[in-house]
Amino acid sequence: MAVENLTGLSVEMIEASQMGMTALAAAIAVGSTGIASAFAEYGIGSAAVGATAENKDVFGLVLLLTVIPETIVIFGLVVALLMLF
Amino acid sequence: MLSPKQMSRLLIIASKDRMQNVIQELYSHRVFHIRDFVEENHGLSIGSPLPTAGEASSRLVKVRSLESTFGIRTDEMKASKRRSVRELKSIVDRDLNPLQEEVEALLAKKAAMEAELKDQEQRIRDLAPFTLSPLRLEDYRGYESLAVFMGRIGRDVAIAGPHEKVYTPSKDGNFIAVFVPVQAASETQKELERAGFTPIPVPEGVGQPKELMEQSSRRISELKAEMARMEERLVRLREERAEFIAACHELLEMEVEQAEAPLRFATTQEAFIVEGWVPVEEVDRLKSGLSLATDGKAYVQEIHDGEHVPAPVEYDNPAFARPTELLIDTYSRPRYEEIDPTLIVSIIFPIFFGLILGDVGYGILLLAVSLGLRKLLPSGDGRKLLDTMRNGAVSSIFFGILFSEFFGYGFDKFGIPWEPLLYSRHLNIGAEASHEGGHSGPMITELLMMAIWIGILQITLGRLLSAVNHYRHHGIRGVIPQFGWISVMWGILFMLWSMYALPLMPDLTGLAVVAMGLNFAGLLGLILIVAGAIAIFTESALELIEIPTIISHTLSYARLVAVGLSSVAIAMVVNYIAIGMLIGPQLEQLSIMGIVFIVMGVLVLVIGHLMNTALGVVGGGLQSLRLQYVEFFTKFYKGGGVKYNPFGKIRRFTED
Repeated sequence: MAVENLTGLSVEMIEASQMGMTALAAAIAVGSTGIASAFAEYGIGSAAVGATAENKDVFGLVLLLTVIPETIVIFGLVVALLMLF
Repeated sequence: MLSPKQMSRLLIIASKDRMQNVIQELYSHRVFHIRDFVEENHGLSIGSPLPTAGEASSRLVKVRSLESTFGIRTDEMKASKRRSVRELKSIVDRDLNPLQEEVEALLAKKAAMEAELKDQEQRIRDLAPFTLSPLRLEDYRGYESLAVFMGRIGRDVAIAGPHEKVYTPSKDGNFIAVFVPVQAASETQKELERAGFTPIPVPEGVGQPKELMEQSSRRISELKAEMARMEERLVRLREERAEFIAACHELLEMEVEQAEAPLRFATTQEAFIVEGWVPVEEVDRLKSGLSLATDGKAYVQEIHDGEHVPAPVEYDNPAFARPTELLIDTYSRPRYEEIDPTLIVSIIFPIFFGLILGDVGYGILLLAVSLGLRKLLPSGDGRKLLDTMRNGAVSSIFFGILFSEFFGYGFDKFGIPWEPLLYSRHLNIGAEASHEGGHSGPMITELLMMAIWIGILQITLGRLLSAVNHYRHHGIRGVIPQFGWISVMWGILFMLWSMYALPLMPDLTGLAVVAMGLNFAGLLGLILIVAGAIAIFTESALELIEIPTIISHTLSYARLVAVGLSSVAIAMVVNYIAIGMLIGPQLEQLSIMGIVFIVMGVLVLVIGHLMNTALGVVGGGLQSLRLQYVEFFTKFYKGGGVKYNPFGKIRRFTED
């Protein structure tokens, strides 16, 4: 009751707002790591295409190098999932 | 199984007059991997090609040019019958040159016709403006006292002084021809230029432009008909001769390869030496074959010296693991003395793929695609990839049943009372959030822990394999650091277990504290970590920097769940938008607009799921491949072996 008087918010409202905050935090976790992965893959990807143009044999290797930064966004996704559920 | 085919190193020495027999014998067995001779100062020199090399090569060039003319690709052709080499050789002697000459003549004629066709078409374009005027071509030229201007003009002009003018307005540009006395030429030209005059030269020839144009058109249709006949002749020739050409190709390539083989041999004045590798089980057959072919005049010796010459690597895997060789080759072929991970990957890769994409619907779709495309690809890398995908698809169906997923829906949605046997991946999305069936939502923590466990086990396996590899190379000393790595990893685990109660992990927090605030398990963990670090240190101090990778590599296995969940989420969102929002509400009250919405909903459903399947293949395939390459292989696998490439040819069009 004291909380209600001080802030004019009910407990339910506070809970809902906290859930919203969690969702936002999860979004930031996925979003920012996604940007980071994209940024890392951008450099590797363009170099990879260049290398493949020179020598087709390296395709498998460079494909692999390109997906390595994917780990960043996966960690973000894991954190987000843990936050949400 | 876990190692490549065993190879024996053979040395063959014979006198030069036996060279051809030896080469033929080696070639026919197709088991001998020649080690190219490199000239050093041993008094040996590289051999010179057999005398047949020149003739065969020049014929091969002819055959190749025929192939490119006809667009024949021998590797994609199917052989209807095999021709005997003896018979084929005489046919080649008789037929190859005439065939090539015929084709060349046809091509030359075709080229000449194409040139004439172009000329005639140009003539029609040149004549076109003159058809507007009633004058004949010869009327425009041959005057001494008259200047003639003809060409396109923007508008009609009035010309001062004596003149004759033909003006014909037309959509494509008005045509004008003006005849004036030579003295008035420059003035008239200025007059005309003001009206936007562009001169056109008179085409050659005499007569009515219209008639000339018709002549040219007739010639063009004649030429076209003739060219079509010629094209037909070429197509018929191609049909008749394609297999003959392919057989020639094979025969001549065989001849050239054999004739040029001495370039890989070491020779002296009178003798030659070949060194190479043969799979152990083939040694006896090759030896007896060689002695038969040379009347026992070739000296063949197996070498077992300690010299480090890397043997070529040929996979030795059971049939179901063979498609996976492609994935290993993409990384790097194993070295001869190292463990070949193909078999392990061929089991683990589909499991990971299934764990990520575990959905019966997508699995069936992929299975159908891979089986359907398989018919189109008779052999080669594409087929291996499809077979790998097929294995992944089967595993996807299996895990789909465990996860109870069909295109993102739980089986209960279709009235099948089947709850996930493994941890649920059903997300609370849209309408599903208030699902009355009482889904408990995804069991994220359990799923993640399961993935981490898989990581721990695979990394441990990798280190154990590394221990085996190191033992083969460096003896017991090489093994210690590998166990050090395992020890540090499990030490970290024990410490975690002693401090936190984690789901799916042993709870060791309850043990009594022994020392330093750690209980027995914690202390054990600490000892393992320290001992492990010391063991790693014995290999190299720099390796210690790598210790954090133990944690990052293990956590990396979380992708097995994370990527899978994102694919489930996409599927559920697609279902929710298509069925929950577009199709479902409209079906209750059908209206014209409703049908449009339903069509849109079906489109969303189909496109969405197709896209998700593609993403699933890429995600499931690449991510699980990456786990093998980066997290698993870096522990034990180096690669860089030489591919076993036996001297000889797989024959499809010819036989002895």
